[in-house]
Amino acid sequence: MTVDTGRSQAPSTAAEDERDTAPPRKGGGWRALAVQPTLVVLGVVAFLVWRSTTTLSETEARQLGWTVLANSVREHLYLTFAAAVIVLAIAVPLGIALTRARLRRFTPAVIGVANVGQAAPAIGLFVLLATWLGFGFRTTVIALVLYAALPVLRNTMVGIQGVDNRLVEAGRGMGMSAFAVLMRVELPLAVPVMLAGVRTALVLLVGTATLATFISGGGLGVLINTGITLSLNSLLIGGAVLVALLALAVDWLGRVVEHVARPKGL
Amino acid sequence: MSETTVSQQSGPIGEGVTARQVSGVSIRLAGVTKRYPGQPAPAVDAVDLEIPAGETVMFVGPSGCGKTTLLKMLNRLIEPSGGKIFLGDEDVTGQDPDQLRRRIGYVIQAGGLFPHMTVAANIGLVPRMLKWDKERVTARIEELLELVGLDPAVYRDRYPRELSGGQQQRVGVARALAADPPVLLMDEPFGAVDPITRQRLQDELLRIQEELGKTIVFVTHDFDEAVKLGDKIVVFDVGARVVQYDTPEAILADPADEYVADFVGAGAALKQLSLTRVHDVQLRPVTTASVGDATAEVVARARAAGDDYVVVLDRRGRPISWPSLPELERVPAVPGTVDEKLPVVGHGSTLNDALDTMLAASQGGAVVIGRRDSLAGVVVIETIMEAIQRTRQGASE
Amino acid sequence: MWDFVVDRRELIAFQAVQHVSLVVQCVLLATVIAIGLAVLAYRSPKVTGLANGISAIGLTIPSFALLGILLAPFGFGITPAVIAVTFYAVLPVLRNAVVGLAGVDQSLVESARGIGMSRAATLLRIELPLAWPVILAGIRVSTQMVMGIAAIAAYVLGPGLGGLIFSGLSRLGGANALNATLVGTIAIVLLALVLDVVLLLVGRLTTSKGIRV
Ligand SMILES: Nc1ncnc2c1ncn2[C@@H]1O[C@H](COP(=O)(O)OP(=O)(O)O)[C@@H](O)[C@H]1O
Ligand SMILES: [Mg+2]
Repeated sequence: MTVDTGRSQAPSTAAEDERDTAPPRKGGGWRALAVQPTLVVLGVVAFLVWRSTTTLSETEARQLGWTVLANSVREHLYLTFAAAVIVLAIAVPLGIALTRARLRRFTPAVIGVANVGQAAPAIGLFVLLATWLGFGFRTTVIALVLYAALPVLRNTMVGIQGVDNRLVEAGRGMGMSAFAVLMRVELPLAVPVMLAGVRTALVLLVGTATLATFISGGGLGVLINTGITLSLNSLLIGGAVLVALLALAVDWLGRVVEHVARPKGL
Repeated sequence: MSETTVSQQSGPIGEGVTARQVSGVSIRLAGVTKRYPGQPAPAVDAVDLEIPAGETVMFVGPSGCGKTTLLKMLNRLIEPSGGKIFLGDEDVTGQDPDQLRRRIGYVIQAGGLFPHMTVAANIGLVPRMLKWDKERVTARIEELLELVGLDPAVYRDRYPRELSGGQQQRVGVARALAADPPVLLMDEPFGAVDPITRQRLQDELLRIQEELGKTIVFVTHDFDEAVKLGDKIVVFDVGARVVQYDTPEAILADPADEYVADFVGAGAALKQLSLTRVHDVQLRPVTTASVGDATAEVVARARAAGDDYVVVLDRRGRPISWPSLPELERVPAVPGTVDEKLPVVGHGSTLNDALDTMLAASQGGAVVIGRRDSLAGVVVIETIMEAIQRTRQGASE
Repeated sequence: MWDFVVDRRELIAFQAVQHVSLVVQCVLLATVIAIGLAVLAYRSPKVTGLANGISAIGLTIPSFALLGILLAPFGFGITPAVIAVTFYAVLPVLRNAVVGLAGVDQSLVESARGIGMSRAATLLRIELPLAWPVILAGIRVSTQMVMGIAAIAAYVLGPGLGGLIFSGLSRLGGANALNATLVGTIAIVLLALVLDVVLLLVGRLTTSKGIRV
């Protein structure tokens, strides 16, 4: 399952997302998972060495001071995980509900909307929400939730839809209730696809949270933005590298969770 | 190795039905060896072999004994680690492989057709690579489709997935023959089709070979297939060691050792049934009718000849059904429906095939077709029973 | 909003054309690069794994961060925009091209070689045409994705509809700020849909009937 086939043609491949939502390849296992954290650790070490050895101007030093820096990272993570928790709380139950018999006829429409929404530029969404709700943390989180909910919602639906219908019937045939079938058959089998959606969402969130700076939401984007507006390359690159490392780390975390939580025998 | 120069085709002209035109060249292997890296024993160990021009030579032997490796060294899909290969008198061991392969047809299981190209494009590939002009390529495609029994008008523009397995295999053969190569290499080509289709494809190949006289090297794991198709059979053991190289008759009658005897299998007497061809036994003449004929006249003709059924031919003279007289009398004109279950065998088929076909169709006889799918007669179960009786008597004597 | 569109139709049309032309050109460039890399990679499982890894990791890098990094050496203008957009467009195409080429039935490749086609001819006439539907699916994913990335590229003075969104942002609260942002965003979504349909048609026209699903 590492191929993107045209999304609108084949719903079963809609789990594929631009951020590579394929479950970890089998075989490679833990060894493949070791490459990414090594890269991240090397990157962090390189950044720390660079930060402690370069001489910075006053403005740069203010933004790249250890406390400010730690603060920016903390803000960025806070934005990411606050949005992630809300996304999970909303999108997973909604996705499950939309695959129940009564709502199933809406599934294609919702998947269609989710696909279209994917093409919407995040920056447009941020600015639109800001015009409506004002600047700040709250608006940022709302924007992030709207943006990252789509992959989770879509993968939840696609994952459950992808469960072989005969298994569901077999479950019902054994006298399991609809709820029991959902909990014991459908969800466990859909977990790999759902987790891939969650990882996609997390990586999207780390990246999109950099745009928070445009609507005063804080985070590491501030460094990049200040660097751009004041032409301070050290700020620019420092912020960019940190965000990239953070994204890689979060992606890795997602892969580890996928690896551990994948039902055995799949 | 036996004397090979006494084969029928090199005999004087007018020797009879078996004389056939030869367009193939001989192949000679001298000490051909293949070692795969990291394997202790060579997969093919110093093989010497001479394949006469225009003959079909079957490679048989257990799985993994090196048949495929040896075959692929002939067109250098696998480079030999040692030894020399001659086509005719020409040493091809050092030739450009691409040029060499354009002179050697190659057929693999399921035809290996390119799914994104039409039947015509698949067949025309090699001629076009050889820079034939357009008209010549088109004409060649028509000719080859006719040769393998597919109507060009119907099949030319189809894609492989729009063909049945047997039809794909026919196109595969047509493609291999496209540039009229003197040599044809076939690696278990009929391994993936059902038994009935396989038998028809075998008949087809016999017929084509009768017309063309190529040098064919054919790998199979099915000894019956080897007996049916081969002028000669090579029985290999591990490392492509040649255990016996002879005619099917000779191998059946006199296996070189226990290994070959095992391979040939029990019931060698019954295997003689595989050695007798349909064209070797008495065929029954039948009453024929064309689609659209008035049934009254046809039925009267059949009654006069003492037949209780009629073979219906289509416009090109190919049998399509064999209704009984009562069936026919129910309609005014002879219907054009194609009976998918019509038991048909080629006149080069073995009696074994004919028996199989009858059993599969639950019929007491089978329609026999000769050249270009035209009707040759009907073979009936009694004829086959007689043949079995004769071989049993021969065995007990 | 309608008045806004009518008033500024020339500017909007200009920016839309710029946006699409940036995306289309970068995706074309990316396709060539990705197929070239995939051709080098797909024969070796190790290099294939590496290509897939690079593709997956590259996609985790936030686009705003990459744009920032590119500003340092290249300064404001079209160069960092083109590099960033092309970079992201390469990744899905690369992954799909590798998978598509590796997925070509080996017996077909052998058949091609067996009837005397050269390595290059086999690649051009058999392997790439057979992998094409998968590659094209990658191109569609790339196109959708970089439509949004191109919007952010406007911040480093790249061309396109992102300019409308950022001008809305800079005049927030002022007249037409909302209109500018809204028009920019909706135009990007619509154009992304149009491009997707166009690619679908291209796929129909360029995929042999024999392998169309
Ligand atoms: N590409 C290869 N690399 C290594 N060993 C091979 C390769 N192809 C075939 N072999 C080995 O060579 C031997 C002969 O194989 P093959 O010619 O395919 O046998 P056959 O066609 O008679 O079944 C086998 O033991 C097989 O494992
Ligand atoms: Mg073999």
